[in-house]
Amino acid sequence: MAKEMFLAGCAASAFGAKFARVEVISSYPIRPYTGVMMELSKIVANGELDAEFVHGEGEHAQVSIAYGASAAGARAYTGSSGVGVAYAMECYSPAAGGRYPIQMIIADRALDPPGDFGSEHTDVMGCRDQGWIMGWAETPQEAFDNTLIYYRIGEDPKIMLPQFCCQDGYFVSHIPGKVVLPEQSQVDEFLPPYDPPDPLDPTNPTSHGPQVYPDQGSAIDIQRAQAHLDVPKVTEQVMDDFSRIFGRTYNPFVEEYMTDDADFVFFIQGAHARTARFAVNHLRKKGVKAGMVKLRFVRPFPTEVVKECLSKFKAVGCVETSTSYGGAMKGGNLIHEVRASLYDSPKQPLVTSFMAGLGGEVVTLNEFYNMAKVLSQAIKDKKIKKYVYWLGFEKEGI
Amino acid sequence: MANVVETQNLERVKSIRRVPQEEYYVPGHRTCAGCGPALCYKLVSKAAGPESIFLGPTGCMYVANTSYLSSPFAYPWMHCQITNAGAIASGVEAAYQVKIRKGKYKGKLPNVVVMAGDGGSIDIGLQAMSGLMYRGHDVLFIMYDNESYANTGIQTSPATPYGANTTFTPPGKAIPEGKTLFPKDAPQLVIGGHPAVKYVATASVGYPVDLINKVRKALNYKGPTFLHIHSPCPKGWLFDAKKTVSVAKLAMETGMWVNYEWENGEYTYDHTPKEYKPVKEYMKGQARFAHLTDEHIAKMQAFIDAKLKAPGIPVALPVQGPRETA
Ligand SMILES: Cc1ncc(C[n+]2csc(CCOP(=O)(O)OP(=O)(O)O)c2C)c(N)n1
Ligand code: SF4
Repeated sequence: MAKEMFLAGCAASAFGAKFARVEVISSYPIRPYTGVMMELSKIVANGELDAEFVHGEGEHAQVSIAYGASAAGARAYTGSSGVGVAYAMECYSPAAGGRYPIQMIIADRALDPPGDFGSEHTDVMGCRDQGWIMGWAETPQEAFDNTLIYYRIGEDPKIMLPQFCCQDGYFVSHIPGKVVLPEQSQVDEFLPPYDPPDPLDPTNPTSHGPQVYPDQGSAIDIQRAQAHLDVPKVTEQVMDDFSRIFGRTYNPFVEEYMTDDADFVFFIQGAHARTARFAVNHLRKKGVKAGMVKLRFVRPFPTEVVKECLSKFKAVGCVETSTSYGGAMKGGNLIHEVRASLYDSPKQPLVTSFMAGLGGEVVTLNEFYNMAKVLSQAIKDKKIKKYVYWLGFEKEGI
Repeated sequence: MANVVETQNLERVKSIRRVPQEEYYVPGHRTCAGCGPALCYKLVSKAAGPESIFLGPTGCMYVANTSYLSSPFAYPWMHCQITNAGAIASGVEAAYQVKIRKGKYKGKLPNVVVMAGDGGSIDIGLQAMSGLMYRGHDVLFIMYDNESYANTGIQTSPATPYGANTTFTPPGKAIPEGKTLFPKDAPQLVIGGHPAVKYVATASVGYPVDLINKVRKALNYKGPTFLHIHSPCPKGWLFDAKKTVSVAKLAMETGMWVNYEWENGEYTYDHTPKEYKPVKEYMKGQARFAHLTDEHIAKMQAFIDAKLKAPGIPVALPVQGPRETA
């Protein structure tokens, strides 16, 4: 029988790893993800999971241990936050290029300075172009489910890619919610054992990662790119299997809320989607036709789905919890992806972005109402004034 | 880390005639003629045999050995970053521990062998190497020592001898010695701080049977082991490619290299000459030292003399550090 527990995101992810029967775990402490390893180490210590638990001497080692283990044929699990994510940067491309489908749980955190513990998507967003699958969970339940879903996608023989399985630090990692835990047999049906085609094995010698000449490099790169192109199709199959086996359904790429007749939507990922839903409810009561579109994957970015979905609205406000200093849109990262996706759409909504919740600040209902004001005004004026609004810092008082 | 699975039990080789004929480091590479590290690879491979997994961080033994679609490695081999061989090896070993325990791999624990340059071992790779040693993974970490960052064009490393002319320590009017620092002591770094390590040894490509036996002994130990192997580099040290083995032997005869084993706290020395030749004999055979004056060579001699008095024991430098003035 499926069992219900009250778990914070960290513990939910740890349970996800347990149900996924991970075989090698590598840890290094940094808040807020530390809770994942604290929970998982108890699970291993109690004999509830047969895994090697390796305490890395830093995040660079953590990721290296994980992809070494994956190369040798074990399902490997690691994780980090903030500067830890940044410190391991050298190892992301080899893990993806070597096609080692390790999973890294990220409870995100702002980078230094100013040494803020708070949630911000900037840490892992800075690593988004290394060939990893990547997306955010909104709730502990989604964090648990994503652990299984991401492994299943990443280990698909067509894909073989590592995954950044992200959740907002504190807002998800530390706030308990109801999590329905499945039967192990259900998970075993959903996620078969990891079985790479050519692991490091003396009975079948292979070379991993030899040097190539410059003219050979792109032939390998294009395979990694192709794998990303194949992810959406595999994701759809995985989600079908997921609903069949677990009886819970997620829209694979974006989740829409009150969008049928919406004039504008908040485009958002992760924990603040919860507040956005409340804000939409309230705005609707006041007759404002607001909606929300929650993104489930940033990499690969679901371009076509986003294009089709967002083309329906008059205006889109990207709620940004990461920075892209000096970028084309002067603010966060999501707006780049959204505007690029919409470029060849015959119907062009107005698109602006809101820097919100940096450094772990709560994005309040009032702030959502202010965003709604800006978007409503833009619809009236038929143009946007600015690409980016820094909430709480604007002269006009938004 | 519990080492629950059996490792191999490799026999001691009694003489050069009994060295296995089989080659596991086969043609298909493009190292320089007379490359000491390549010879080291060949000997280590023979010693370890086919039940092995080799890990190769970035360096000459990666770049000059592997080219996509052609590999000299007849056993599984994996590239590591120059920074993380110790960590990747930890992951590989951990994977085999769990695979064997779960019955997913039938057989003994493969020999997991890292072949790292000096940079990949005791400079940028030090943290990962130390992490592996500390955690006690059943891995043999080999530092093949060509005393430089060779692959990037012979730059100084913490293993480069005092006085060497490298592309980052060229001698000039203000700094006539070239390299002003004395090298780190790699085996002491391992011995000094890692309780899980029971066997550390130094070896030289000039003494192949000894080298093979040290590799086998290290592999037969459960837990982490470390070998520091002197591997002359004709390109970087600037000597005739024919002379790799004689340069290696001369290093031993002058005390520039000392062969020893450290087993559970006990030191044993081998190949120690009755009388050491002056280091000048070694240095004059390599153009990387050609610019040194007698005064510089005397500094080197003093360093070696002090070291030889108590090999394996930390020595106070007889010369000033780079930031001190005379
Ligand atoms: C993080 C990083 N920094 C620098 C380099 C450039 N690099 C490639 S090979 C190499 C030299 C390796 O030296 P060593 O470990 O002593 O091995 P050798 O080349 O002497 O065999 C360096 C510095 C790199 N690959 N990665
Ligand atoms: S530079 Fe030295 S270490 Fe590198 S391949 Fe040539 S001889 Fe060998």
